[in-house]
Amino acid sequence: METTKTLVTITIDGVQLSVPDSLTILEAAQNAGIRIPTLCYLKDVNEIGACKMCVVEVEDKDNLVTSCNTKVKEGMVISTMSEKVVKSRKQVLNLLLANHDVRCFSCGKSGECKLQELSDEYEITQSCYKADAAKLPAKKENPFLTYYPELCINCQRCVSTCNKRAGNGVLHNGKIGTRTLIDAPFGEDWKVTDCESCGNCAAACPTGALIAKNHKHYRAGQVKKVLTTCPHCATGCQYYLVVKGNQIVDVEPANGPSNKGLLCVKGRFGSFNFVHSPERLKYPLIKNHETGEFERATWDEALDLIASKFNEIKKQYGPDALAGFACSRSPNEDIYMLQKMVRCAFGTNNVDNCARVCHSATVAGLAMTLGSGAMTNPISDITTDVDCILLVGSNPEEAHPVVGMQIRQAVEKGARLIVVDPRDIGLSKRADIHLKLKPGTNVAFANGMMHVIIKEGLVDEEFVKTRTEGFEELKKIVEEYTPERVAEICHIDPDHLREAALMYAKAKKAPIIYCLGVTEHSTGTEGVMSMSNMAMMVGKLGKSGCGVNPLRGQNNVQGACDMGALPGDFPGYQKLTNPEVVAKFEKAWGVELNKKPGTHATDVFGAAIRKEIRGLFIFGEDPVVTDADQNHIRKALESLDFLVLDDLFMTETAQYADVILPGTSYAEKEGTFSNTERRVQRVRKAVQLEGEMRLDTDIFIDLMNRMGYPQPQLTSEEIMDEIASLTPSFGGISHRRLDKGETLQWPCLDKKHPGTPIMHVGKFARGLGWFYPAEYVPSAELPDEEYPLIMMTGRVLYHYNTRAMTGKTPGLMEREGHSFIEMNTEDAARLGIENGEKVRVSSRRGTIISTARVGEKVSPKETWMPFHFPDGNANVLTNAALDKYARIPEYKVCAIKVEKLSPEEQNA
Amino acid sequence: MYKEKVLQTNEMNQKTAKFLDKFVKRVKANPPGVCPIAVQLAFLQSSRSQTCGKCVPCRDGLEQVENMMREILEGKADMETFDNMVDLAKMIQDTADCAIGYEAANIVLQSVELFHDEYMSHIKDHRCQAEIGQKVPCISHCPANVDIPGYIALIGEHRYADAINLIRHDNPFPTACAFICEHPCEAKCRRDLLDSPVNIRGLKKFAVDQVAADQVKVPPCNVATGKKVAIVGGGPSGLTTAYYLSLMGHKVVVFEERAQLGGMLRFGIPNYRLPKDRLDEDINAVLSTGNIEVRLNTAVGKGKEVTMEQLMDEYNAVYIAIGAQTGKSVKVEGVESNGVYSAVDMLGEIGRGNIPDYSGKRVVVVGGGNVAMDCARSAIRCKADEVTVIYRRRQIDMTALPSEIQGAIEEGVELLTLHAPLRIKADENGNVSAFVAQQQMINLYTKQGQPGAIDANKPELEVPCEVVLMAIGQDIVSEPFEEFSVNPRRKTFETENTTRVKGYDKVFAGGDCVFGPATVIKAIGAGKIAALNIDEYLGYHHKYLDDIDIPEPKENNRNHYGRVHLTDRSARERKKNFEPVENGMSYDEAMQECGKCLRCDHFGCGVVEGGRV
Repeated sequence: METTKTLVTITIDGVQLSVPDSLTILEAAQNAGIRIPTLCYLKDVNEIGACKMCVVEVEDKDNLVTSCNTKVKEGMVISTMSEKVVKSRKQVLNLLLANHDVRCFSCGKSGECKLQELSDEYEITQSCYKADAAKLPAKKENPFLTYYPELCINCQRCVSTCNKRAGNGVLHNGKIGTRTLIDAPFGEDWKVTDCESCGNCAAACPTGALIAKNHKHYRAGQVKKVLTTCPHCATGCQYYLVVKGNQIVDVEPANGPSNKGLLCVKGRFGSFNFVHSPERLKYPLIKNHETGEFERATWDEALDLIASKFNEIKKQYGPDALAGFACSRSPNEDIYMLQKMVRCAFGTNNVDNCARVCHSATVAGLAMTLGSGAMTNPISDITTDVDCILLVGSNPEEAHPVVGMQIRQAVEKGARLIVVDPRDIGLSKRADIHLKLKPGTNVAFANGMMHVIIKEGLVDEEFVKTRTEGFEELKKIVEEYTPERVAEICHIDPDHLREAALMYAKAKKAPIIYCLGVTEHSTGTEGVMSMSNMAMMVGKLGKSGCGVNPLRGQNNVQGACDMGALPGDFPGYQKLTNPEVVAKFEKAWGVELNKKPGTHATDVFGAAIRKEIRGLFIFGEDPVVTDADQNHIRKALESLDFLVLDDLFMTETAQYADVILPGTSYAEKEGTFSNTERRVQRVRKAVQLEGEMRLDTDIFIDLMNRMGYPQPQLTSEEIMDEIASLTPSFGGISHRRLDKGETLQWPCLDKKHPGTPIMHVGKFARGLGWFYPAEYVPSAELPDEEYPLIMMTGRVLYHYNTRAMTGKTPGLMEREGHSFIEMNTEDAARLGIENGEKVRVSSRRGTIISTARVGEKVSPKETWMPFHFPDGNANVLTNAALDKYARIPEYKVCAIKVEKLSPEEQNA
Repeated sequence: MYKEKVLQTNEMNQKTAKFLDKFVKRVKANPPGVCPIAVQLAFLQSSRSQTCGKCVPCRDGLEQVENMMREILEGKADMETFDNMVDLAKMIQDTADCAIGYEAANIVLQSVELFHDEYMSHIKDHRCQAEIGQKVPCISHCPANVDIPGYIALIGEHRYADAINLIRHDNPFPTACAFICEHPCEAKCRRDLLDSPVNIRGLKKFAVDQVAADQVKVPPCNVATGKKVAIVGGGPSGLTTAYYLSLMGHKVVVFEERAQLGGMLRFGIPNYRLPKDRLDEDINAVLSTGNIEVRLNTAVGKGKEVTMEQLMDEYNAVYIAIGAQTGKSVKVEGVESNGVYSAVDMLGEIGRGNIPDYSGKRVVVVGGGNVAMDCARSAIRCKADEVTVIYRRRQIDMTALPSEIQGAIEEGVELLTLHAPLRIKADENGNVSAFVAQQQMINLYTKQGQPGAIDANKPELEVPCEVVLMAIGQDIVSEPFEEFSVNPRRKTFETENTTRVKGYDKVFAGGDCVFGPATVIKAIGAGKIAALNIDEYLGYHHKYLDDIDIPEPKENNRNHYGRVHLTDRSARERKKNFEPVENGMSYDEAMQECGKCLRCDHFGCGVVEGGRV
């Protein structure tokens, strides 16, 4: 209910104030700069008035009142420091200290502890009361978090945070007689609880009771904090790297627009060990072809060798025999310079990034139908006040955990949730309805949805008429997709389809949120366009709480596409096919550009085998591990004349390189990442490490010059200025604006432009939205007698892609460190396979050994594997069948067989 | 001198006794979820305070038991302490001189047995068992877990329609419950620590008296799911399930054997307690959700219009809520005489509008429950000359609500307590002429804590009468469902906690046909749980939230107030007809009661764990 703001007059410590009556006494005081001490209070999360530190005296009231949860009233006369108040606060501290083990010297929170701070302030060094609570053992088996009951003051901040913010609800109160305990799930059974080790509870703890193990290694005052952006998924969480000396020792959440103070286990615990890993490459390496060994080289040797080899290939076979892959984890500025190097120094458009294998279908699909291939609405907008969420092929609790937490909060507050996923994901337990469809049938599903929407008269006629084109053609196609037919294709209940369609169409505010379950198919682009078809049909685009929202996989995969690491697009999706665009870039870059569209990354491998591409520069990618059909990739890399790798680690792919260049991680450089919601956020340098590693932008600039293209030396900030000058959608973005605290989502057209949170308002980027008429086409490889099971691949919560980063954090490896394959109880029983048994998994492309996880998460005849683990890499099995538009491989469907191992093999 | 001292001592004792009243009150209002060992320790401390100090076991022994008990309570004790404590308690029990020491030790030994798991949890795991922990008293004592503080706050802000919908979020019978709920919610109301429980039912009545339930729009249903659920029985439990399933978007068909919906609310509870037109307000609201089809006069079961097999074939799930519809009978001589009826038959006829004329007749009612009171008070309204309730035990042992007993007495019903049925005498035409009873004496308490009654060895008593109404309990009509996990002894359905009938996938059951005859709110609670579980069984987790923002609490008013009781119309007037007897609250009364609610959903444990208590 909208209540009108009423102002009331109150007096706090003799100061008369006029404040809205919606404020608490505490808020009114804080706004006026009057400090009231708090301990258990956490705004909006824990306003329970338990600790009584925030008590104040209100004239004409007998009792002291808790200012944190008492609203102001007209005429209140409040004393925040009266004798009675101070005495009461001292008693509170005495009571709390009685059972708090005052061993501050050995406590990691010393210096940041609220209890310590307040005790100092109120001059209490020791409790005047005797303690007699039982001494209970600490819970410390969880590798990241520890709970020390003897330090706990039972303020409930952790419990409320877990329940209301993380939305996980695994922290509870227990009892021992009349005392309350926090049931922290960090004991021996930590792996089997539902705790995600996100550590948001520890961040909320005012003492050292619930503490991250990382926090033991430093004290406040010994560290500096550097605000930056998380390098894992594309949620774009803002946090501080906590740096002691020249070492990152911890991560602290910041209140970023997309994470609102939350972090996940990867961000909090897995985002800096890799920076300091002893396995980091420290100097350039050149392969000695006689011994096959890599040998240390100087930068001059390495870069000269590359320049000469690349120039030689260029001269002999033409510029299109060269190619470069950009790193989607590196900042925009790095990616911009890489594509500039490929276009200007290599002289080719053979530049791409790993979006090719995750969301290229999104970029292509949404660009075709809407005019812009990006998430339409901000995360906060689609998880705060919505009626229904349609979640398709996305498991955000694991792949985008902080988005997952916000979806859980939305559902808890009453939003309906439709999960469309072949697996029982965590969120399906909270979903109103779960369509457990057969992998690879998204287009049929969407067509079925639209069939029902049309039949039920729920089309937003006005929207369709004024804002779109192509409706009639689509209508004809979906006519055939009756719920019964779709149910047969998708292996779902036709009632579920009808219900989902009605629920989505009738909801006032309903976003579609999707992920790789939609894109990673040989029909991925059509799957994506089917999402925009659905949203346009019911007019749910260009509006708050709606839209078509792909969750991008990597921290800066959005940026990699935005920056023009695409074979047909300059930065900002300016088309190579547009002569005016080419002319603009030729003028700016002072070079004649190659007009021929480049080769897609996934096609580069075939081209290498055919010897059409001979020289390849890979910046921070590991396609041997990540790309479909590993054996094919290995063959391609072997076929190259010259392969250069710029990376942090000696990866599987690096083994094939001729030269390896040591680059720098996100913690060692300045720049920006664009998160999934098009928000450009700063990355800041936290440490300078020992070794000869160079800024990647410097490497590219140096190589460009050595190859003959005169590129002046630029800082990251200057590069962003060049980007802004050439890219209309980034026109107003600069490090300076971001450093002032502005948060900008592109398109941001000029220096005054506030950015664009919601796209396509009033008009599509394309002009009219286009209904793409997609027919359902089955997956490229379907199960048969020999390979009877479908295999899907995906991520788990604790890891990120190749584990190059997360694998360096022992706790993450302890939680989830080995290859496994989920299979249905029915199939396992037929094959005589028990849960936890080692099995042989084969496809037409290869064979691996993995461990069976038997249950009901996947349907019969279907299996699922994470692709993180080298001890049974799923991508040996996956199929490189490519989508016709985006050339994305079909990671989500291939045919496999699972076999029981012989006893000898089991033991081996 | 001497006399003065006695007076002084008495004065002190009186003061102490008065002070102890507060203690008793505190103990009575013990909140749900308190650790039983904490209760035991408090009990022990108060027992020890009574020791006179003469004998070693009581004087010194109880102190040591208390010390060990405290160690156990705080999670510091091991098994040795526990064993020593039990040994010492046994010694005290064996050697205590008087009841002060004996009973204190006896209670300790009882609690050790009764709460053995909790003791072990303290000793071995250093914590209470998982279920220990305080909850909001009224909400947790309500079998339907209605958000009571929430709706009281809404009433306090004059948002009566919102209050009704908030109640309906957990209980679609706000009106029926406003009239006849036994209000277990009031039993542990925290307000009782200060003065007396908030009159929760009275406030609910005030709300439904301000705006009729069927004038308050129900929340919108989910879109149609395409699933169909059959409900057997259109009583409170069946209609509750129907309401929630309908809100979730499922199609519901209710099969009702009788010509009207409502079950025992219509055919068991007399109009003077729950007016039929007011019951209709709830039923109208339930049906207004839109997905419910009702088939009246349609019995289900073996050999009936519709068989269970048909329902299981044609529907995605079935909920059986057939209630307990037949009166129990005692095997006494003459029970087959003309003029002997079961209570449910008599009340059922009245419910159908066939009001018997007992003019010139004397009526005996056998039983001590609410149904017996309903019969007795109805008999008065059927113009009986005399109405006598015959009950085996004492008045305080009667299960009927004290207000019902009081109401009956006011209307002229005579209670004949401590009398057990012996035989029914009939005249030569087989018509009842008298009821013969045997006087009883109250005896040892049974294991369940009820006082037993045995023959007092006093003369028989003959009560002349023309009508005998047996109100000694009800059975379910189980024959048509025999193969569906009906317990042969109790004649009730055997179900899991989820209300699923044991051994069946898609068949659920709840209400009186599972518990045996119980309260309407219990039947409603079961109906809600059944709806949630049927939805889960069908593979969904549908929400049916109606977003009502609950007012923020006002300051806790801790002044002591008397409780506003609901009054009845004068007995002289009300006994002449079946019109409702109870008067509602005035606005002033309602606002005073609302103001007394301590908002335990906000103050105390109600706010922790994100309010999931």
